Amino acid sequence: MTANRPPQRLKAGRAPGAALLLLALAAALGAQQASSPAPTPVATPPAATAPDQVTLVLQPGDRPLLRLAFPALATGNQQLAGEAGIAARELESALRADLDASGIFTIQGPAELSPLQLTGETAHDFEQYRSLGNEVVLLGELKLEGDRLVLEGRIFDLPSGQAILGKRYRGTFDLARRIAHTFADEILLHFTGRRGVALTSIAFYSDRDGEKEIYLMDYDGRNQRRITAHRSISMSPAWSPSGDAVAYVSFFAGSGPAIYLADIASGLKRPVVTSGSLNTSPTFSPDGRRIAFARSLGSNIEIFVCDRDGSSLRQLTYSSGIDTNPAWSPSGREIAFTSSRGTGRPQIYVMDAEGSNLRRITFSGDYNDGAAWSPDGTRLAYSSRQPGGQFAIAVSDLVSLASRLLVAGNGNHESPSFSPDGRRVAFASTLRGRTQIHVVGAEGGEPRPLTTDGNNYAPDWSGYPPQ
Amino acid sequence: MKIAKLTLPLTLLIVSLALLGCPKKPPQSAPEAAPVAPAPQAPTTDVQADARPDTGADQVQVDPLSDPDLANLNSHVRDRGLLGDVYFDFDRAELKAEARERLSRNADFLKSRPEFLVTVEGHCDERGTNEYNLALGDRRATATRDYLVSLGVAASRIKIISYGEERPVCRDSNEGCWWQNRRSHFVVTGRTGG
Repeated sequence: MTANRPPQRLKAGRAPGAALLLLALAAALGAQQASSPAPTPVATPPAATAPDQVTLVLQPGDRPLLRLAFPALATGNQQLAGEAGIAARELESALRADLDASGIFTIQGPAELSPLQLTGETAHDFEQYRSLGNEVVLLGELKLEGDRLVLEGRIFDLPSGQAILGKRYRGTFDLARRIAHTFADEILLHFTGRRGVALTSIAFYSDRDGEKEIYLMDYDGRNQRRITAHRSISMSPAWSPSGDAVAYVSFFAGSGPAIYLADIASGLKRPVVTSGSLNTSPTFSPDGRRIAFARSLGSNIEIFVCDRDGSSLRQLTYSSGIDTNPAWSPSGREIAFTSSRGTGRPQIYVMDAEGSNLRRITFSGDYNDGAAWSPDGTRLAYSSRQPGGQFAIAVSDLVSLASRLLVAGNGNHESPSFSPDGRRVAFASTLRGRTQIHVVGAEGGEPRPLTTDGNNYAPDWSGYPPQ
Repeated sequence: MKIAKLTLPLTLLIVSLALLGCPKKPPQSAPEAAPVAPAPQAPTTDVQADARPDTGADQVQVDPLSDPDLANLNSHVRDRGLLGDVYFDFDRAELKAEARERLSRNADFLKSRPEFLVTVEGHCDERGTNEYNLALGDRRATATRDYLVSLGVAASRIKIISYGEERPVCRDSNEGCWWQNRRSHFVVTGRTGG
């Protein structure tokens, strides 16, 4: 059980960015060193021959899968045994999992490549990889430099034999997964124009240790750790944009749900807004300086905003209905929220961040809540009650207001949150019995569970870690 | 984890002691375990407890409503139904006719014990989203408090808190449970003047 690690551990988790040396292998790359932000597929997509290995269901509009040969990482003449061997295996499996989960590659690994007659002679071997339909190959080598693991990874375009990406990373054994994630994100940046999300985290709350507490996990569900120990009800975590803090709601003081801020590096918690009977659903402005939230005035619940330290409290909404669950837009100019004004039923609205220019977004169904912005600000995902009474994840386009269901049926699906690259959505679901955090492609596909222990709720996907 | 493991047996012990303290029936297992000595003790207490009238002053026994221990006081209030829960329709915070009827009795009790300070907890069933349910629970508690105030209970005696769907009294996923969770619940949290 990793959940009981003290918060200090988190400091160690963030520090390695500095320890990790990142050196571009300029020599191997020449003029083709990848820096182009535009999507640049290295080869023409495969025509109609869909290989058996394709497991992702592609939706209209998704880019075709790129066929990647990824043989086992080489270790040169070195024998990586003991701790180094374990770290090497961790690194390789994380890199494979990251690339597989990205959804843009069809990967042929050592098993699929085993029939090939490889000689070590580049032109011959590349022709061998091509013979199985691959368009690019990832060749990597792991070495030891003292107590550090070094990964040299290169990607080659198979038709031309040109190196299109090369990176060298070095770090201590405990950073093996981080090295893999960093390289995977770089590969994604090259092929899609958007950095991968392998170094991002998801905050959520769980009853796995008895009471409901706030937890963090890596984007792939690894390294789950508890960051509160209030032994009360703690819920509704919301990342600060830079990832240095998580705002959350807790009942521990005894006078109703109140908003606190957990500093990730130090583990320190401090109150933001605690006066009144109810303060809930915090969301950060994209500049990280302000927090919008729902607050009870003793008779009604309205959206308020305050500075990060709780000062400069200001009311944004004035309605007779419930106004709650705000979500600040990526541009900072708007706030989506839930309101029961008018109909008495919760619907999603968007207003300007000063409280003006209100417009209703959802018109389908009688219960829509929990809006989450797509990172490009064009869509809102939310929980939408279906005619049978179960909740589905729906997505509305903010221009056309057209909505569609992303995940529906076989349980309740709630609390969506986009990954910072917009390619995935985390949500809480009873798909597998108890409530667990799942991830699904933003265009659809098969949801994958990230948690299994206890009930787990309200995922909030972090932004990109600062570079 | 260690604390949780320790807490459970401790809680069970306390609960057991509390049950032994004022038993409705003689302990079933006691005669088998220790047939001679302890058996006569328990029935004696039992008879006194059963003989005590439900209402009215008892010269010998301390009035349970004067018990300085709030946990004891609240179990007494709960057992006697002195501050009964109020139930709501799904997704609603409006007080139904039976809720108003229940609240007028609760108000009578509160007016008869003007020293009691109470907290009204608003709860929801598990359907609906956690965030909206927190707000809905606050609405339910607010409606409950406002009605009590309209019946003459001082607003200063009543605090509200919403637990949303986070602290259900019943945990099954069916209406048999859900209706019990859509409630305002009363807890005596103190007395005026300390």
